[in-house]
Amino acid sequence: MANYNIDAKKELTYDAIVIGSGISGGWAAKELCEKGLKTLVLERGRIVEHVKDYPTMNLDPWDTELRGGLTPEQKKKHQVSMRSNWVGTDTAHFWADDEANPYTEVKPFLWLRGHQMGGRSLLWGKQTYRWSDLDFEANAKDGHGVDWPMRYKDIEPWYTHVEKFAGISGEPLGLPQLPDSHFLPPMELNCVEKHVKSRIEKEFDGRHLIIGRCAHLTVPHNGRGQCQNRNRCSRGCPYGAYFSSNSVTLPAAHATGNLTIRPFSIVQSIIYDDTKGKATGVRIIDAETNEDIEYSAKVIFCNASTLSTTQILLNSKSNRFENGLGNDSGELGHNLMDHTYRVGAMGKVEGFEDKYYKGRRPNGIYIPRYWNIDEKSKNDKFLRGFGYQGGGYRGGNAANIEDFGADYKDSILKPGPWEFFITGFAECLPYHDNQVSLNADVLDKWGQPTLAIDAEFKENEKAANKQIQEDGVEMLEKSGLKDIIGFDNEHPPGYGVHEMGTARMGLDPKTSVLNGFNQVHAAKNVFVTDGACMTSSSCVNPSLTYMAITARAANHAVAELKKMNL
Amino acid sequence: MDRRKALKKTGLLAGAALATPSILSLLQACKSEPRLTWKPEFFTHDEASTIGTLVDMILPRTDTPGALDVKVDVFIDKVIAQTYDEIGQQNIRNEIAIFNKRCAENFGAAFASLDESKKVEVLRAEEKSSGKFNPGVWGTTIGTQEPIGFYRSMKSMAIWAYFTSGEIGEKVLNYDPIPGEYDGCKPLSEVGNRWSLG
Repeated sequence: MANYNIDAKKELTYDAIVIGSGISGGWAAKELCEKGLKTLVLERGRIVEHVKDYPTMNLDPWDTELRGGLTPEQKKKHQVSMRSNWVGTDTAHFWADDEANPYTEVKPFLWLRGHQMGGRSLLWGKQTYRWSDLDFEANAKDGHGVDWPMRYKDIEPWYTHVEKFAGISGEPLGLPQLPDSHFLPPMELNCVEKHVKSRIEKEFDGRHLIIGRCAHLTVPHNGRGQCQNRNRCSRGCPYGAYFSSNSVTLPAAHATGNLTIRPFSIVQSIIYDDTKGKATGVRIIDAETNEDIEYSAKVIFCNASTLSTTQILLNSKSNRFENGLGNDSGELGHNLMDHTYRVGAMGKVEGFEDKYYKGRRPNGIYIPRYWNIDEKSKNDKFLRGFGYQGGGYRGGNAANIEDFGADYKDSILKPGPWEFFITGFAECLPYHDNQVSLNADVLDKWGQPTLAIDAEFKENEKAANKQIQEDGVEMLEKSGLKDIIGFDNEHPPGYGVHEMGTARMGLDPKTSVLNGFNQVHAAKNVFVTDGACMTSSSCVNPSLTYMAITARAANHAVAELKKMNL
Repeated sequence: MDRRKALKKTGLLAGAALATPSILSLLQACKSEPRLTWKPEFFTHDEASTIGTLVDMILPRTDTPGALDVKVDVFIDKVIAQTYDEIGQQNIRNEIAIFNKRCAENFGAAFASLDESKKVEVLRAEEKSSGKFNPGVWGTTIGTQEPIGFYRSMKSMAIWAYFTSGEIGEKVLNYDPIPGEYDGCKPLSEVGNRWSLG
């Protein structure tokens, strides 16, 4: 396996610098390295080598002393990420140290971070959906936010490009609002999901229930093994069966011989040269030694994750950019979005008591958006739309059964009742006042100003959530489910972990930070291709779009370098 | 057992409840409590007896191992000792004391010292009065969770400890660490017990 070149001591100058090694940073590194650019990837955490650094990948619950439980010290260290309920001993080492990296919640906001090589690409949900022109035209049509400087036709070849390399499984459906990817074979629905699918598609015109489209290999692909249905993905996959920077893009970048990755490198700011009129490099703090070091490059890619990228730009002040690099418009830090999360419906399914499944499929079902896609589907209660994820499984809570003793014990050794749930993800409009700013009153472990996050879901998102719950209950009722519960946990932004915006793309430098190829309008050799660049939020998961946007921008950067335009 | 120490441990030092006759039998009953065969990290001897007796009643030995066979009580003690903060630990102590106090008031002795039929009565009453867990989605409870109460919380912990023990996980439930294929519709008769890994 890869034995990464981490020696960035001798060489301080590179063709390209990539800040961050998560989903988008890994793609930037791969594309730039493969096009022959000597590339330095700056990673604020440690090296995590594929397989070698997945210490928990094969552990059963009884193999760890506390079977997943965290000590009070670990709970303190992960006091923020714990709110997600996803942090256990199996993954704690992939979640950031919340004590060392504080932020301020002006309004409640869950900021989940992964500070290591690969970032959150190790932990992500792996749902992968193309956006459509319904998304890219949304702002222009209803007037919220600014228009995207690109359309589906501009990004379509790059979706194809990244999908063929990453490996996306799914079923083609031909829906205009959810374009098909280049798919590996789809995963399988279980019998209850097939039942609900047939009922929903019969009862509701225009609604579909499909197996989730996801970045899991259902067949061997590009030297990686197929999914073994262990559902232990977020510990790191020994087969490389799901897409992560660690298993896919960074090994490819390394194979070119052009990659240097420097761990423990916290980017303090991007250096802008007023006389040259462009960025010349990056200033870092070594997280272990506190040493300040400057690296130079012709192009700089910002892929630190949505809010961290914006934090770096805000902190990159110069005579030319007093309020942060590229902030002529005043939009840097603004228009933060996320998807609404954990609002939906669930119930029990009868009639399948003699059926079970084998394997722990790391994927669920998807119900694509069906509101506001044409005149017929117009909903006057909210703008834009939502999709559902969910699934069927044998669950129940044995502790709730009002019984105990010998017969009870023997009964709970058998699988519980079939349950089925759907939970919606609604598009969030870009609001100028959903914003982040630098906070010099709270410093991190390295003495750097931190972020204050001031964002909330507003009336449109709340109206969409109401519809999600109502429709969810109705669909489950029509599917014959029992004991149906509609729910809305009223999570604030952040829980969806689809934070987007704060350095948006746009046509006009007066109202946006980036141009149509993700270049900072007034510093064209600085590219932002992580979630910060997003101009709107769609209702589908954004990671595949980050990959495509990054590959597109990286190839543009190389072309512009050749033309001596950067 | 020293009377004052016993009172302190059951959390009954304060208040008028002290003078009831049931307390007397509670204290007398101490003599007949079973001796522990292990040394708790967190529980007192009496607390460990309460928990041990409780989990044995909920998940007794049948033709498959019971809770005590797979050391559910020992594991619960360890989890409370090593993962709870001080407030959480104190809450557990208080709840066990209140549970035993209720047993003493209603049946004349601490839980572990009651005879078998009384213990069954206690559990039947607890099953009725204890709260229920809301369902969850992706690891998170949906809706607003009403208080669960000591009994159901401990029952849930016991089931977790039981299912995640190696003995049950590998030999009693269906252990399938590397499933390979996913089969979404398999006759239950071909599987039998539930899968041990979630």
